[in-house]
Amino acid sequence: MNIRSKGVPARGKAHLPFVAPTMIIMILLIGLPIVSVVLMSFTNYELAMPPDSLRWIGLRNYTKLLFGQNKLLYYSLGISIGMMIIATAFQMVIGFISASLLNQDIKFKALVIACLIVPIAITPSIASQVWKLMLNSEFGVVNYFLKKLFGFSVVWLDKDNALLSILLVNIWLMTPYVTLILYAGLRSLPQEPFESAMIDGASSAQTLVHITLPMLKPLILITLLFRSIDMLKMFDIPYVLTQGGPGNISEFIGLHIYRTGFGVTTLVGQASAISVLLILIVCAICLLLIRLMNTKD
Amino acid sequence: MKAISLNSQKKRGVTRRVKRALVYLGVIIISLWAVFPLFWMVIISLKERIYTYDPSVWIFRPVIDNYITVFTEKNLSKFLINSAVVAIFTTILALIIGTIGAYGFSRFKFKYNQAFLFFLLGIRMIPSVAIVIPIFILARFLHVLDTRILLIITYLIFNVPFTVWMMKGFFDEIPKELEEAAMVDGCTRIQTLYKIILPVVQPGLVATSIFCIISSWNEFVYALFLTSIKSVTTPTIVQMFLSIQGVAWGEMCAVGTVSILPVLIFAMIVQKNMIRGLSFGAVKG
Repeated sequence: MNIRSKGVPARGKAHLPFVAPTMIIMILLIGLPIVSVVLMSFTNYELAMPPDSLRWIGLRNYTKLLFGQNKLLYYSLGISIGMMIIATAFQMVIGFISASLLNQDIKFKALVIACLIVPIAITPSIASQVWKLMLNSEFGVVNYFLKKLFGFSVVWLDKDNALLSILLVNIWLMTPYVTLILYAGLRSLPQEPFESAMIDGASSAQTLVHITLPMLKPLILITLLFRSIDMLKMFDIPYVLTQGGPGNISEFIGLHIYRTGFGVTTLVGQASAISVLLILIVCAICLLLIRLMNTKD
Repeated sequence: MKAISLNSQKKRGVTRRVKRALVYLGVIIISLWAVFPLFWMVIISLKERIYTYDPSVWIFRPVIDNYITVFTEKNLSKFLINSAVVAIFTTILALIIGTIGAYGFSRFKFKYNQAFLFFLLGIRMIPSVAIVIPIFILARFLHVLDTRILLIITYLIFNVPFTVWMMKGFFDEIPKELEEAAMVDGCTRIQTLYKIILPVVQPGLVATSIFCIISSWNEFVYALFLTSIKSVTTPTIVQMFLSIQGVAWGEMCAVGTVSILPVLIFAMIVQKNMIRGLSFGAVKG
């Protein structure tokens, strides 16, 4: 990630007229909600409550969440982080394989890329709705194909398979992103190392491990950073496919905030506490991955 | 000896042909897999209601009843207009705010240059669902809930950082000599930016704005929380079909087709800059 400025050292405050407005607007836009969400997480705020019963309750929301009877927070964090790891792994592996295929000398490459852009550009909530129809156990086209080809069908959105279905839609929606970025990376690699490897008689597996992957490493790490955070942020897909159900099976952390604050209950204070925890987790993962990027360079 | 080498050459020719066949097979599978849901959505939207629940019907007389219904009864045009207004205005604002900032980040070295850029990248990482509750409360307090202006301003949260990172990349590519020459000729920095630099980065501006339009058009979380009746945008239209599932799949698919069409066209236009946009400007592609 090229962050180093090539610019001239600013004489005095020459940069301020350009940078200051942008920064002030952004600090306000993001600072206001973050400060309020932190403040609200220390209150007993509920959506429909009379204003005079608003109380400062200190850390009680947090203690209730972390040490209370209801372990839903841990479950929901667990499936979110699990989904993040598994979905990102699938996306990276499938994305790398398809990028390598795309990097071959093939005809109609532009058409293939156009196909890959479809999941990227499509509205995720609408795509999820279409998947919901396709995964329907009785009249869904996925089961139609499964029955025709293999003679069995799957109840996709029940409690056993809900997470699997969400993973599937995730992979469909996000893998082309990885494919296109890694394809661009592969295309930009210099040819000489590959030529000398071929002369030395290296197998394709050796070339992959010792040349391709190390050279792509910075790019892979950036993609990993974006993919994993986006997986934690995921909201549209489970919201449309299962709404967190059946029961709480697919209540990912984003949906957990939604259901606590606006859905099943209207405990805005508590939902704010979950939001603060989520922001902290995202920051931790970002720092971890950025450190990984910097040490390996 | 010669026979052996000839044999192995032939073998190598065969394996190469097998390999090529496998590559094509893989590419075809990936392409079909990627477009199938879109294809299926269009199919369903054109089917008559009696065939909607029968995936074995592939050949049928297409009807546009579903499209007529969604425009007359479901008021789809209102959703589309809201989406368009929000996407266009937030993009214009983000472009103005972000481009000026990006120019500053690209042209000057100052103390917190990198820290600020990482701060903007950090904003991209914050889950919208984690900050939407305070935005909702603040908006309710200010009586701006369910207005397009609220969405326009809220969408700046992700559009401005994106614009800064993208445009900084495009500014970095312009040789400094170009503007130095202009400044020697007596232009101020503002004049140089306006008269010399912006025309050069015009393709970058177009690409960036198209990406902003696409992500605003598709945005779901803020739209779901912050709108209810007047300013609903198309992604939240799925709401209408969550409760009455099994009834109106054809209409749902018609809505989807109409609302996805503009972004697909836009995305094809920026194909050349797609990788750059996807990676937040990090990869030139």
